[in-house]
Amino acid sequence: MLNDIISVRKGEFDSGTHTELRGQLNRSRRVTLLSGAVVGNARSDISGISARVYKNGVYGFSSMAEYTPEAAAKVLHAASENAAFMDRHVPAGKPALPSLPKKSLKLQNGNNDPAQKVYIDFSKELDAYVETHCPELISRVVIATEDSMEKLLVTSDGMDAHTILPRSYCYVFLTAQTPDGQPVELFKAFGGEGTFDLNFTDPSVWYPEIDRLYEHLMKKREGVYADAGLKTVILGGMMTGMLSHEAVGHTVEADLVLGGSVAGHCLNKQVASEKVTLTDFANTAFGKRCPLPVFVDDEGTMAQDVTLIKDGILTGYMNNRESALHFGMEPRGNARAWMFSDEPLIRMRNTSVHPGNDKLEDMIASIDDGYYLIDSGNGQADTTGEFMFGVTMGYEIKGGKLGRALLDTTISGVAFDMLKTVDMVSDTVVWSSSGFCGKKQPMPVGMGGPALRCKVMIGGR
Amino acid sequence: MNNLENLAEYIIVEAKAQGADYVHCVVRESEKREFNVDGGRFSLMRTLFDRDVAITVLKDQRKGSVHVNRFDEGAIYDAIAECIAASESGEPDPAWQFCDEPAELTYVQGTPVCDTEKLFFRTKELLEDIRERHPKILVEQMITSHDTYRSVYLNSNGIMYHPTAGAYSFSLMYSGHDGEKSTSFFGSDVTVAKLDKPVIECALIERELSEIEKQLDPVPLEGKFTGTVLLAPAALSEIVLGTVFGNFVSDSSLIEGTSIWKDKLGEQVADERLTVTLKAEGEDVVIGQKVTGEGYPAESFDLIRDGKLVSFDLSQYGANKTGQKRAGCSAGNVFIPAGEQSMDEIIKGIEKGVLVMRFSGGEPAPSGEYSGVAKNSFLIENGAVTHALTETMISGCVPDMLNNIRAISSDVLKDGSNSIPYIAFDGVTISGK
Repeated sequence: MLNDIISVRKGEFDSGTHTELRGQLNRSRRVTLLSGAVVGNARSDISGISARVYKNGVYGFSSMAEYTPEAAAKVLHAASENAAFMDRHVPAGKPALPSLPKKSLKLQNGNNDPAQKVYIDFSKELDAYVETHCPELISRVVIATEDSMEKLLVTSDGMDAHTILPRSYCYVFLTAQTPDGQPVELFKAFGGEGTFDLNFTDPSVWYPEIDRLYEHLMKKREGVYADAGLKTVILGGMMTGMLSHEAVGHTVEADLVLGGSVAGHCLNKQVASEKVTLTDFANTAFGKRCPLPVFVDDEGTMAQDVTLIKDGILTGYMNNRESALHFGMEPRGNARAWMFSDEPLIRMRNTSVHPGNDKLEDMIASIDDGYYLIDSGNGQADTTGEFMFGVTMGYEIKGGKLGRALLDTTISGVAFDMLKTVDMVSDTVVWSSSGFCGKKQPMPVGMGGPALRCKVMIGGR
Repeated sequence: MNNLENLAEYIIVEAKAQGADYVHCVVRESEKREFNVDGGRFSLMRTLFDRDVAITVLKDQRKGSVHVNRFDEGAIYDAIAECIAASESGEPDPAWQFCDEPAELTYVQGTPVCDTEKLFFRTKELLEDIRERHPKILVEQMITSHDTYRSVYLNSNGIMYHPTAGAYSFSLMYSGHDGEKSTSFFGSDVTVAKLDKPVIECALIERELSEIEKQLDPVPLEGKFTGTVLLAPAALSEIVLGTVFGNFVSDSSLIEGTSIWKDKLGEQVADERLTVTLKAEGEDVVIGQKVTGEGYPAESFDLIRDGKLVSFDLSQYGANKTGQKRAGCSAGNVFIPAGEQSMDEIIKGIEKGVLVMRFSGGEPAPSGEYSGVAKNSFLIENGAVTHALTETMISGCVPDMLNNIRAISSDVLKDGSNSIPYIAFDGVTISGK
């Protein structure tokens, strides 16, 4: 755990500027088993210190891969020099950032650091189960992983925070063959917030999940191509999470709004059916702790929820302190950095559509010819709101009943058009949190949602 | 321990003393100077002083790896102990093998010393050039940087490399805007050793900016047809090269046995006009590779020559696992020789199809089946580009496409790492609303 060597440096902050000084340790552990063989076995501990200085509308930043008083002095000096360089060459002439209240926050749970053997032994047990219970596979991969961010932050506004956010997962990838010999794959991530030793005590807990994954794969290997075109579909909760994050969330990040995103023209306008409410939750959602809770961001702003869409109306953006000043909004703790050497960027935390009142089975029964799309492998969206998600698991719906499984496909649409077609919302939210959002830097995020009935373009043949 | 060579030697000696049969390490110091432009205005200047150590050991053919960025003796000692412990927890695998031919080489690549004022000047000039020549383009984000490093690669078999390298990188993300109309975003990237000309003249940046400006009035495609897709280098990399390297020729798919090309070595897998080379070094590679991660001298190699699969892209480990031959390098610099037709000539020959500048798709299936959105795309009808498209999907199968090449362009994107032309493929499903 990091010792506090940075609080005492506050006296060195330049007057007349806003300054952040952050010490950070990123830890990662990863074991990969390929058909039972350990092909990856690695640990990483990366620590250092960074400073960021805001002066008249421009920032200077510097970092060093050392966590020492000397490094703190050096990065403070270099960040100030960089801010001065920018102010001299490209003066923005902007006012100081509104000050934040003084706060102190210590959240230091989650510092267990299991030995590599713990990851290897657990993944071997999962792998042995797969080998025994999934006989039709041509390949299997099990990955056990943990990453954590520990941050010590002091700011010129008086924030003094020490936080640790660990998360750990096991990934199971299963590959089988179609009748004509083509490989088909499915994967599932298990786990969430917390260190590996606390999340993974008993492999048998995960066996039913593996059974379900294998069952889906056996159907998928007999699967069919989707019929390309505009279709009525049920997006499962995992797909809705992807939609919340990729197709809507990114377009309402204030830096992307300033970069020309479609949401710049849509504030306070109808962008979705009135059945849709969407929030970027900080640490508590629907009465429960979020998958990856955030309590303070890396600018020293205490984290609060941001309501992005309320009953179909676009109501807000996610901001950092500077963009909040620009838009006349309140910063709510979205400025986050991945490594010690990264500056805070506007990032989502836990983004989810709110649940409705419909039952999933009624939603499926309501469709005569369409698809139930359950899980996604990846997703991307444009600043225009046009999105694309890979669909790794899905089924036909014929006459209100689930039919054949689908081979891999993709769906696409324009978020603020497609969301207006939502006419049923299920009553159950599903979360995922194992991935990284990519935006100059990676960042762990949670995303979730209920099942939605809507119209999207589907790829296929 | 601030001397990189001394630290590397300490790691080898200490790891052997703690029981390693084999050890290699990369000890590295690096610096970055970076300017950021957000929403069309300068926002940030960064200076990063970084360093890190990567250690790999074998003990009884069990492998362990650690990555840390502290250089003090206590931290390094602990890292070595963790690495040994990690290896002891693993399974023995006879396939692990590292180069055992002693060698030593000191070399310099690119431009290790940053001219910060010149980098700022070129960044500002690029922003001004875009404003002046392409007034409808908004630079959503531009990151320009100089990255330099000095490192030592040392292994316990007597191999030591001392590279020093540096280069300037320019990465832009932008879109067209006119009132409330906007285009999809597009990215242009280039790496250069020298700042001797305006950046807008590098790679295909000027052309790409012009193409994006023409996309402000896109029209959704109606219906579905099978036609020709003319893939620009970025889309070609995403769809075709991403699938070939991700699913067909690399360690994971060949070791897993899921590659559909696993038995195709020496066979025709593509049109005979296609050659794909992986370059370790060369005139158009700013920072090349002289040694692989396993310590072998890096050499360029052909993956596909005249349409035949002539090599896999395997590490020594992958080669041992599959009984195949190790690839010459692991640099990832893709070179595809230019064709003979200009873009105009290729377009004139297309009856109905789509020019795709960027692709946003799902992970391609192991079989090479893919589908996704044709971003920043134009409709081609009767030999001419008619209008920009929106909400258009394409789907196909990469192995089939490689045998359905219509044309390879004489225009080539050279971005400092790769050299990739435009390629037109027939028989792809194109669908709209």
